[in-house]
Amino acid sequence: MDSSFAITGKGYAIVAADMTVSRSIVKMQYNEDKIKVLGSHLLMAFSGEPGDTVQFAEYVERNIRLAQIRNTYPLPPPSAASWIRRELADSLRSRSPYSVNLLVAGYDLSTHEPKLYWIDYLGTMATVPFAAHGYGSYFALSLLDRYHDPEATVEEGLATLRRCIDEVSKRLVVTPGKFKVKVVDKNGVREVEL
Amino acid sequence: MSIMEYNGGSVVAMVGKGCVAIASDLRLGNQALGISSNFQKIFPITDHIYLGLPGLATDVTTLKEQFRYRVNMYTIKEEREIEPEAFAHLVSSTLYERRFGPFFIEPVMAGLTKKPSGEYKPFIAASDLIGCLNFAKDFVVAGTASSKLFGVAEGLWEPGLEPEDLFETISQTLLNAVDRDAYSGWGAVVHVM
Amino acid sequence: MNSLVQRFDTNNALSEIKRTSAIIEEDGDNVSDLMWGSYGGFGNLATGIPKFNIPAVPDPSAFLRLHTDDHTDPSCRIKIQHGTTTLAFRFKGGVIVAVDSRATAGSYIASGTVKKVIEINPYLLGTMAGGAADCQYWETYLGIQCRLHELRNKERISVAAASKYLSNLVYSYKGMGLSMGTMICGWDKTGPQVYYVDSDGTRLKGDLFSVGSGSTFAYGVLDQGHHWDLSDEDAQELGRRSIYAAGHRDAFSGNTINLYHVKEDGWKFIGNYDVSKMHYEGPGDIPGAPGHGYGYSIRTAGKSSADPPTS
Repeated sequence: MDSSFAITGKGYAIVAADMTVSRSIVKMQYNEDKIKVLGSHLLMAFSGEPGDTVQFAEYVERNIRLAQIRNTYPLPPPSAASWIRRELADSLRSRSPYSVNLLVAGYDLSTHEPKLYWIDYLGTMATVPFAAHGYGSYFALSLLDRYHDPEATVEEGLATLRRCIDEVSKRLVVTPGKFKVKVVDKNGVREVEL
Repeated sequence: MSIMEYNGGSVVAMVGKGCVAIASDLRLGNQALGISSNFQKIFPITDHIYLGLPGLATDVTTLKEQFRYRVNMYTIKEEREIEPEAFAHLVSSTLYERRFGPFFIEPVMAGLTKKPSGEYKPFIAASDLIGCLNFAKDFVVAGTASSKLFGVAEGLWEPGLEPEDLFETISQTLLNAVDRDAYSGWGAVVHVM
Repeated sequence: MNSLVQRFDTNNALSEIKRTSAIIEEDGDNVSDLMWGSYGGFGNLATGIPKFNIPAVPDPSAFLRLHTDDHTDPSCRIKIQHGTTTLAFRFKGGVIVAVDSRATAGSYIASGTVKKVIEINPYLLGTMAGGAADCQYWETYLGIQCRLHELRNKERISVAAASKYLSNLVYSYKGMGLSMGTMICGWDKTGPQVYYVDSDGTRLKGDLFSVGSGSTFAYGVLDQGHHWDLSDEDAQELGRRSIYAAGHRDAFSGNTINLYHVKEDGWKFIGNYDVSKMHYEGPGDIPGAPGHGYGYSIRTAGKSSADPPTS
């Protein structure tokens, strides 16, 4: 069962996702990147049904790119999240729905604000200051209620994220293993080591 | 596990003297886990209509978008704002379109109808998830706390409430009902027209 | 002679009881005489291992589950209270025990004022998660046995022994549908002690436990703030804050927090705190408290993650 976390801070959003791909009781891969870079200022962490995840993430990636080619400008985070949500909501009532949970994080250049959207496979979307998917959320959300600071620096934000990952590693029966961490701010997207 | 209880949330609407009120909680949950405390379930449709959409959260957003589209089309074609009665039937037929694969939403509407004399007549209505309309004269409730809302509203509501008293009545009704429901709460919003 | 008189004396209360129980006996119910007398309201509790009537079906526990398991069947007839957050941890100043007070039956909040800490005796506390009746009954029973141990041995029972007694007892009922997840906390010769005991028969000694549907949320706050050298005030604050966290995030926990502190001279009730009040105002002007509400939106009011260019 995969875990992903995301938090916002002063002028940035951080997304973290575990890097293991497991099948039955076996870890098939331990360096998988489950965070798609959808644009210059847009990230998406995805988890859920194996197969669906990558298929859907690539479908989204191509369509967001198409929107940018057609309109010259990239979709701002709220519009991108809205479109992604609707795709999931429509897929839910199709013959073979995608079972994918997402954390969409971006930096909105027009409002100079980080944006974070919690989206589940049903197409439920919530705008939140911090978010988590998977069993990790049962430990991380209360921790973030206590420690998250919307005005934290990137270093402080990473320290808070570290707390979440440590807590989940400590308490969750199946330790998620290594995490990939990506930051998005006004300068764009970058990967960081935790 | 019931789909109607998956995300939680409740809405209530009440009639007053020349006014209406509609109120909801703000919780979005994943069963027992609270996700967001600012999930909007009541949406302004026109200057004189509010629509509350308790139920499955994905359908809350989808239906909100769909009603925005349909009301905009109506406004353009008819070159006038939609009336509450007409909107109620728009809601009903939109839901019945999905008779065999329904949206898991029980809408609640509140609005003011302009009479030829220029006065405004209060209007409230609710519907089940496939569009059976219920035009009530006192109050309507829906959502995970509906059974509790019925109890409290039955005790607190009285005819001819002025806007200030209606606000107090609907607020207390919602708050006290929600306090007995595990899936509702986490903040509330009240609109009085 | 005396009993002969009693048997035929219609006005005597004792003989009334004797006759009534004799009638019930004929009905096939096996009720001990002691059930009818006053044993401090504990029925047959005080006389060793109590006896229970068991439904006359081939598999009693399956029969019970059929009617009480609202997880698989929400419309089941009998709903046993569940959905709880309880925690207890050890630190240099003793043991902190904190619990919520919500009881739910399905989505209905049946009560917001449940006492989930059971005061076994002045030195022992038990927490309640799972079946409310199971916990209440067996921990009260444990209290009686602890008192008898004191009278027999002229010294207080250790927490280890008390928890072992409970563990062995519930284990003897394994498979019969008992449901309890409890922490037995106290102070004995060896210092502060916390034991986790559940109806599976698990018994664990440890520094920090949390049990119930909201336990993960409590752990999230508790683990990060816990260390051995906590001051009394900070430890109490940590217990309170952790239950608040669970009461906030978990739909089946909340309403109020009950906080206890066990020290060398026994347990002390610190207070009852409303979760909503903690959210908006916090515990007030007491040492260790943050001075504002625990709620995220309260704590971060006025803060913004926007980063507009300064010019």
